[in-house]
Amino acid sequence: MEEIPESETEAGVATMPITARRTAPSVDVCRELEQFLFEEADLLDTWQFDAWLTMLADDIHYWAPVRENLFHRQRKNEMAAPGGSAHFDETREHLAERVDRLKTHQAWAEEPASRTRHLVTNIRVFETDNPDEFEVESSFYVFRTRSERDFDSVVGKRFDVIRRVDDSAYGFQLARRKIVFDMAMLLVKNLSLFY
Amino acid sequence: MDVSDWVDARNGFIRGEIFTSEEVYQAELKNVFARSWVFLAHDSMLKKAGDFIQNYIGEDPVVVVRQADGSVKAWLNQCRHRGMRICRADRGNTRYFMCSFHGWVYDREGSLVQVPHEEEAYAPETFDKADYGPRQVPRLHNYKGFWFGNWDETAPDFEDYIGDFKYILDSHIDRHEGGLEVVGQHRWIIPANWKYNAEQPSNDSYHAETSHASALTVLERSRKKRREEKGEPDNRVSMATRAAAARGKQFSGGFGHGAGWHEMPEGAMRYQAELPATMEWEDSVRDKVEERLDPYRNANRSHANLFPNFMMLANGTMRVTHPRGPNEMEIWAWTFAPAEAPDEVKEEIRVNVLRTFSAAGMFEQDDAENWLEEQRIFRGYMARQDPLVYTMRIGDARRGLGGVPGIIAPSVYADEGARGMYHHWAELMSGDSWDDIARRNAERLAQVPHAEADNSQEI
Ligand code: FES
Ligand SMILES: [Fe+2]
Repeated sequence: MEEIPESETEAGVATMPITARRTAPSVDVCRELEQFLFEEADLLDTWQFDAWLTMLADDIHYWAPVRENLFHRQRKNEMAAPGGSAHFDETREHLAERVDRLKTHQAWAEEPASRTRHLVTNIRVFETDNPDEFEVESSFYVFRTRSERDFDSVVGKRFDVIRRVDDSAYGFQLARRKIVFDMAMLLVKNLSLFY
Repeated sequence: MDVSDWVDARNGFIRGEIFTSEEVYQAELKNVFARSWVFLAHDSMLKKAGDFIQNYIGEDPVVVVRQADGSVKAWLNQCRHRGMRICRADRGNTRYFMCSFHGWVYDREGSLVQVPHEEEAYAPETFDKADYGPRQVPRLHNYKGFWFGNWDETAPDFEDYIGDFKYILDSHIDRHEGGLEVVGQHRWIIPANWKYNAEQPSNDSYHAETSHASALTVLERSRKKRREEKGEPDNRVSMATRAAAARGKQFSGGFGHGAGWHEMPEGAMRYQAELPATMEWEDSVRDKVEERLDPYRNANRSHANLFPNFMMLANGTMRVTHPRGPNEMEIWAWTFAPAEAPDEVKEEIRVNVLRTFSAAGMFEQDDAENWLEEQRIFRGYMARQDPLVYTMRIGDARRGLGGVPGIIAPSVYADEGARGMYHHWAELMSGDSWDDIARRNAERLAQVPHAEADNSQEI
């Protein structure tokens, strides 16, 4: 098991270091990126997974580290480090495989299909050293119902790197996504969809 | 508790009541979980003094701590004062544990070492801290790096308890010098009875072809593509091919343990997972593993359950399924990789297990769906009347078939593992003493005919 380093500071929400104030791009760019995320949410909710795959860069890393309940002096490291425990740790090919699975109509966790609503809020956009890439943070609430009376919800935060790709279908592509679920023990029967 | 209305394991009759009844559940906590050997920790989770993890035996939380002298102790994670949970971190390293209710402090051994205002609050003539450590798990056993605990002083020793299952367990944890190490962990809940996730690895290769049709199809497609692109050798038999062939065996051990495996065609072997670096490495150590185990166990890897709730698959997932009422289980899964494997192999195994057998795993998800619907159906009254069908290959098992110890059914499609599991479950539920259960168990095993000397019986 990977060692958990002790952290000097008190518990913060274990996500990203709070760096110096980051710079937001122009309002227009912010709007475009918001639009991109809302478009993505809609594709996922309407099961247009092939279209969703076109939103992903070839070099995407789609990653959801596992989180643990730790003593306060270690809590800064409550999210597993890269290469540690994860719910998703995916390349584009991996994600395409998951999409293919859903399309077999024998993926019983999603057959009959769930109804979902991806609510995406608290969007913040920051510039990076690369003028075509933006760091975009957003919160999500995914409500799912399926069959007669199943329902659950998964809530968390995403840390994305979104790249401007002019000749792509949506004008941008998702180059990196880190998903932080607000649960240590997952209080859902599965994570059969995308977040 | 007499469960004979619901379980007649010898004849393969089991009724849904045992998955839904609160009364049965309470009896299970007492008669099954408080009397059985349950997995608690692996050495690689407790590397240095003060390293601890929390785990459970049934619904009872247990803290497992590495001591200064290298030994391990496990104690009920409950403060003796008012019953509060002492340690509230999943794992970590510490010298002392302080209860957050009134501040009683325990050391790593579980001794009560400090009581706030002890002098003013308690009379020294009647109050001795030595009397108030948390309840110790009285029996701990380290089997090849794996720690198991048992509350019951009268239970058989661990090695007697696993019996013939040693053959199976070794094939998972003792393939390589240096054993295994943890490379990942996952926890989630499934709203269904814990026994489904015990029965399935004990017994149910039968479900894979249908339950996991989607994952088998997609992974087979990717594998074919990779093989074509990279020109990988073709001595590999895919999961889909294996699933289509009934060739294989099923194991039932004495105290409810079960396993099953497909048999590889001549010369082929089953890899931990169909991953390029892993296959290459496993080819390179094949001789060593065959020497350490035997060629048969190198080639044919099983799915298995060490009763009651320690499940293992060929790919490195090992887990305990904690009961949470009759209608819910909590899965605590770890991914293990051979410690001596190159980093690249460990990485492949880590990613493969999370993509297939975690809550987001492409196989795992579909099991949850089936179990949940099963559980829901059993709420019905009529739904619990007719016995379920656990009669596959009844009467066909032989002792020592194919040179494999235990009661061995001659096909991977059989219910021998489940019949054995529920037989022992019913024995424990009766509340009879371990001595009586062990005696009857030995008699039962002795009644099973031995395989013919030539072991020619095939499917
Ligand atoms: S309950 Fe633990 S100190 Fe009171
Ligand atoms: Fe399964």
